[in-house]
Amino acid sequence: MEQFKKKFLEEAADLIAGLEKALLVLEENMDDKSVNEEVFRIMHSLKGGSSMFGFHKMDSFTHNLENIYDLIRNNKLKLSREILDITLEAVDHLKILLENGDELSKSDEKTHNELSGKINKITQNIQQSSNEPPAKAEAKTNEQNKPASDNLPAVDEIPTYHIIIKPFEKIFKNGTNPLLFIDELSSMGHCKVYAKTGKIPLFDKINPELCYVSWEVFLATDKSTDDIKDVFIFVEDSCEIKISKIADINLPAKSLFVKDLDNLMRDDDFCDTYKLKELAKTVVEKEKPDDELELTKAKNVTSLAKKTAINNIRVASDKLDNLMNLVSELITTQASLSLYAENNENTELTSIAENIEKISRQLRDNTFEICLIPIDTILIRFKRLVRDLSQELEKEIQFTAEGTETELDKSIIEGLTEPIMHIFRNAIDHGIESADERLKKGKPKQGKITLSAFYSGTNVYLQIKDDGRGLDAEKIRKKAINRGFISPDANLSYKELLNLVFLPGFSTAAKVTELSGRGVGLDVVVKKISDIRGEVEIESQLGVGTTITIKLPLTMSIIDGLLVKINETYFVLPMTAVDKCYEVKTEKLQNNFNNKIKLDENLVPYINLRKEFDIQDNMPDVQQVIRVKHEDQNVALSVDNIIGEYQAVLKPLGQMFKDLEIVSGATILGDGTIALVLDSGKITNTFDRETIKKREEVLKAKIDRENLEKS
Amino acid sequence: MEKNIVIVDDSESIREVVEFTLTNAGNKVKVAVDGKDALKYFDGSKIDLVVTDLYMPKMDGIELIKQIRKKDDYKFVPIIFLSTESQQNKKMEAKEAGATGWIVKPFVPEKLLAAMNKVIR
Repeated sequence: MEQFKKKFLEEAADLIAGLEKALLVLEENMDDKSVNEEVFRIMHSLKGGSSMFGFHKMDSFTHNLENIYDLIRNNKLKLSREILDITLEAVDHLKILLENGDELSKSDEKTHNELSGKINKITQNIQQSSNEPPAKAEAKTNEQNKPASDNLPAVDEIPTYHIIIKPFEKIFKNGTNPLLFIDELSSMGHCKVYAKTGKIPLFDKINPELCYVSWEVFLATDKSTDDIKDVFIFVEDSCEIKISKIADINLPAKSLFVKDLDNLMRDDDFCDTYKLKELAKTVVEKEKPDDELELTKAKNVTSLAKKTAINNIRVASDKLDNLMNLVSELITTQASLSLYAENNENTELTSIAENIEKISRQLRDNTFEICLIPIDTILIRFKRLVRDLSQELEKEIQFTAEGTETELDKSIIEGLTEPIMHIFRNAIDHGIESADERLKKGKPKQGKITLSAFYSGTNVYLQIKDDGRGLDAEKIRKKAINRGFISPDANLSYKELLNLVFLPGFSTAAKVTELSGRGVGLDVVVKKISDIRGEVEIESQLGVGTTITIKLPLTMSIIDGLLVKINETYFVLPMTAVDKCYEVKTEKLQNNFNNKIKLDENLVPYINLRKEFDIQDNMPDVQQVIRVKHEDQNVALSVDNIIGEYQAVLKPLGQMFKDLEIVSGATILGDGTIALVLDSGKITNTFDRETIKKREEVLKAKIDRENLEKS
Repeated sequence: MEKNIVIVDDSESIREVVEFTLTNAGNKVKVAVDGKDALKYFDGSKIDLVVTDLYMPKMDGIELIKQIRKKDDYKFVPIIFLSTESQQNKKMEAKEAGATGWIVKPFVPEKLLAAMNKVIR
């Protein structure tokens, strides 16, 4: 049972999360019967499980909770906000109950009693009036097994019962096989069975779906009448059963009695009890009881563990991490093998190496997929947070989520929850105004927070958008100057000003509330996000709202790349960014205009990677130009040689290189050489920034000139 | 004798207890997460026993029992339902639909086997 208990713990945690989610949905739409049904069903499952696995407190607690929703679904009770509040509190308590089982700490015990009291109060009134006894989960203590009667007491001492079994004709319709009762009865003691077949019609009139036979059983057993009744527990209502004790001795063991009985039973009518009792009395002379009481009906429980098809399994997440690591190692090793095979020009080995490459790639993709989970899974926590916070701060906030089916690596999701919670807290506490303030500003009373997730290229974007008061760039500037982050005459763009809020020790909120602004600023968010190789961006408009965008890599550790070479150095470009490759003469590259080259009749901005990495030797006559795409922008990168596709296992570069923006990591090639993995997005961005700077300079010069002219 | 048994329950842990118990008793077990899911097994193949929960998403136990009884091949297959519901009305409803027997949760493996022995040989 222990092994299942563990499973139950996991499952119950899911159920509780599901319950919380359903309740929040229910809160938005209190009259939705289907959601209420869902709530009830989850509670029911939880109750069933907890009773099975020894969580008695949880069992009775959910039982009472379930009653509320049972009443609601039967229209005996109206769902109110108050009930929902209590239920959500109860959900929190369920988590504690699940964690601690029946042994609660004093304070938890107190909560337990208080909550139970509240819950009972809700149901009490109604249940009293409807005069319905609370459906107690009391287990019908049906003693589980009837140990086969292989050690009957002294054969004579046991009483004899007369049992009449008269099934209704339609008994088969329930899948019942009456012979099984007879079997079970005979396993309880010494018994004599007579079938009454008189009702069977002529063969051509027989309906095989109906039961025409009845039975009369004489059973000598030490079991009680109740035990005998238990045999018929499933068929009480589709059978006529009569049980009566006819003697205190084992009659079926008396051959004299049996003889008489055989005569009696020729008649198709049932024997009446009185007659039988009389008959029993006449059997005074004791006969040698039958020796053979072969009642070896021991229930053979053969241990035949057979595996059956399972649709889903649960795996501890560290096992997945392990798997992922092993796959990375495998891929690195496979690269060595491929290289070795190639160098040895052994065709057989090469084909094996190629096969291994193919398989390890598939293995990698599959492993990735296993590790992907939808954002949906953490959503519930945000929903709850928004609900609780908005209530506490007395703000009305509507939370919507889009693209929740977007999947991310498990480890990324894990690292994401906390920073996003923080962003939410900020948005609710500082961002969204109170209802009054909003009305004054002409905004709808209800604030809005949207979480949207979407894929773009190799990245997943998460956007948290609120329609609150927005950030005041001027205020930020003043504060930054005050704190000495920037000099008073610093010339910062609007975006740069906004980005100041990500600096450590920066907080714009005038008053520090209990919720956010506990000294933990947005800098922590940025730190946490960059730990999982993500980026944070902020956009805001004063009075309109703030949007925080988190850009995340799809996966953490292995990427499909294009291996390229410049002079003697290897680089890897993420395959997803690569659009098309061209061969271009070096002189053409050198003579280009404004860093743009013509590719397929389009002018594309071009970055010379040689220049970027300061490699000057061995300039080839013909260079390879790779067109990469980043956020709807084409950029061409020039390299000397394109080696081919390569699965790169990303390794971090270490502290020293952490400011190297355009490199996202390194990978070890088959021969042990290290190749830098380039971040194509960052490369295009740097390019962007440079062009923007140039344009700004031009613009500034122009404005200066105009000003000069005016004066 | 090996029996072909179909287990229907939306709770994974319960499903596993039942599955483990019945498999260990030498039976061939197929599992389904709800009534709708379970119906796929009723394609004419041999089924000796169905063990189903009552409250499930998509299709509940009662509806499942009704659906099974509609099929000619499974008109008489024994069906045991599992429930915490000890109320008489649910029991009656299930029996009306064609259930053979029931087990009240919580149950121990022995109880399940005993119930099974009541409905199949």
